[in-house]
Amino acid sequence: MIEVKNITKKYGKFIAVDDISFEVKDHEIIGFLGPNGAGKSTTMNMITGYIEPSRGKIIINGYDISKSPKKAKRQIGYMPENVPLYNELTVKEFLNYMAELKNVKKKEKKEAINKIIEETGLKDVENKIIKKISRGYKQRVSLAGALVGNPDILILDEPTVGLDPKQITEIRTLIKKLGKSHTVILSSHILPEVSQICQKVIIINKGKILAIDTPENLEDQTKAENSILITVEDKENNMNKINSKIKAIKDIKLVKDNEDGTKQYLIIANKDNDIRKDLFDVLPKENITIFELKQTETTLEDAFLKVINNKESEIKKAENKGVTKKKRREEELNKMNKQDRRKAKKEDKKAERKAKKEQFNLEWEKEKEENKKIKEEAKLRKKEKNKSNKKASAKKEVIDKSSKINKKEVKNKSSKTNKKGGKK
Amino acid sequence: MWAIYKKELKNYFLSPIGYVYIGIFLLACSLFFYLDIFTYQSSDFANLFGSSSTVLTFIVPVLTMRMFAEERKNGTEQILLTSPKSITQIVLGKFCAAVSVVIIATLATLMYFLVLKCFGVPHIATALVSILGFALLSIAYVSFGMFASSITENQIIAAVISVGFFLLSWFLPSMIYSASNFSLMYAFYMSFMNGTIAIDNLTLLLSFTLMFVLFTIIVIQKRKLVK
Repeated sequence: MIEVKNITKKYGKFIAVDDISFEVKDHEIIGFLGPNGAGKSTTMNMITGYIEPSRGKIIINGYDISKSPKKAKRQIGYMPENVPLYNELTVKEFLNYMAELKNVKKKEKKEAINKIIEETGLKDVENKIIKKISRGYKQRVSLAGALVGNPDILILDEPTVGLDPKQITEIRTLIKKLGKSHTVILSSHILPEVSQICQKVIIINKGKILAIDTPENLEDQTKAENSILITVEDKENNMNKINSKIKAIKDIKLVKDNEDGTKQYLIIANKDNDIRKDLFDVLPKENITIFELKQTETTLEDAFLKVINNKESEIKKAENKGVTKKKRREEELNKMNKQDRRKAKKEDKKAERKAKKEQFNLEWEKEKEENKKIKEEAKLRKKEKNKSNKKASAKKEVIDKSSKINKKEVKNKSSKTNKKGGKK
Repeated sequence: MWAIYKKELKNYFLSPIGYVYIGIFLLACSLFFYLDIFTYQSSDFANLFGSSSTVLTFIVPVLTMRMFAEERKNGTEQILLTSPKSITQIVLGKFCAAVSVVIIATLATLMYFLVLKCFGVPHIATALVSILGFALLSIAYVSFGMFASSITENQIIAAVISVGFFLLSWFLPSMIYSASNFSLMYAFYMSFMNGTIAIDNLTLLLSFTLMFVLFTIIVIQKRKLVK
């Protein structure tokens, strides 16, 4: 369980991640989707504790990453972007080192590493120096490094970049397999990948979350219309009359006039009506033969572009408003006298300052409230902890007692069976 | 911490850096052994360190420049900083590894003592004190070199910063007399070379080391905010 609460990351004036919050439940595979520079890696780096957010907090399995980093980091396996590795070590040495870094017990280490090497298909290169293995293998070594120590949460930053198609499918199936026993967050700018692997998609652009949903829902959302591509032989040109026969049809467009006498049309209908059956019923009656009928599918790609474009146009509109306002004001000022202009400019500046101050005050108060909330939450958590501790200790006593009784019973039984066995 | 220590130490001897450091250091020592002791026919072992401490100015940065700068440039610090090890553990692990290399080199100078013993009667206590002093001096240098490596991504800049600082602490006292109280090399010259351990000089060396180890930890902790 990962809870990301209102995190913001600023670099000077540039805001890389802007007030993002979301939740990832156990054993979920989540995909971060966004164009380059959207803030995917920054968000992931913050979740793993590599970067400290400017504001907000991240809680991993109940541990705050900035307050109890050791416990939180123990839950996470991280495969960074660009696969940084120690080039002078061999694959096995590297995994050994990772195991030591992650406090894997000495007895379990060898077995665990061998298991991971097998899982990620690194058997052939396990004794080679990392510098000399190919990019695909390096990617796998990095993934193996994330798997060491059996963490609950896997965070994979662009896991399939730079691989050949066979390796990509291999890594995908591996991630799917891992998703059954781990929580996985992965980032990508390849859409089919995300829609194949992930149960949930977070679309992010310019540091803001644009949508959180399942891939199917996202596709549905953008499918405002139901469009059908149809190829027909239509000798009497009856296609235009169909509009009146099937009422659900909104529009018919001629797409292509094939030279063999067939024509391709695009029929657009309402989202809720499936008109394919009607078409099959009606068209033959109008002396039209159907050659091909296909429902066009909207892909996640469409959803992605649509969501991003919508938001961008909104932002641009807002910006344009500001710009036109300024221009108008300038024109007004130009019409005035010199003295009046000065006065007006001064007043403008005053108003600006006032607005800034007000905004600052608002933010300040918000921050105060947030801090209060955080403190209260911490208090509550402490109380709960105490309570649960008490309960646990009480339970323990009960369990101890019952286990003692059970043991006695088991002993009795076993002794009986032994006796029986002896008799036999 | 031990995981990092082991890996770093191994790294020094997998790459040529460890050998280069020890090799050049011993080469310089041999040279000064010949020039300062053999030609004067003295049996004062401490004389060896008088000149070879200046060599530290140029070879310690070679050893320390890659400590954090390389990891930062290759991105492998992402592996380290997202592992469940605290920053203190990471810094101490790396520091101890570099210190081990330095101490190995320092202990190797004992062979000159054995050579001297064949031809004369050197005083063993003063020799040991001077070796201790020399080890402390090199450890202090390592701590500053590590700090320089942590503030930049470029190994060469890290090396230049440390060489510059060591040169300052070497030459500043001859221009401004009061600076000699704070010069590491002078702290070594004033007492350890003569076979005495003065508390103020010992404190200077140890506190300097501690200060820059702490600075390194703080730098890496604070960099989380601006990365």
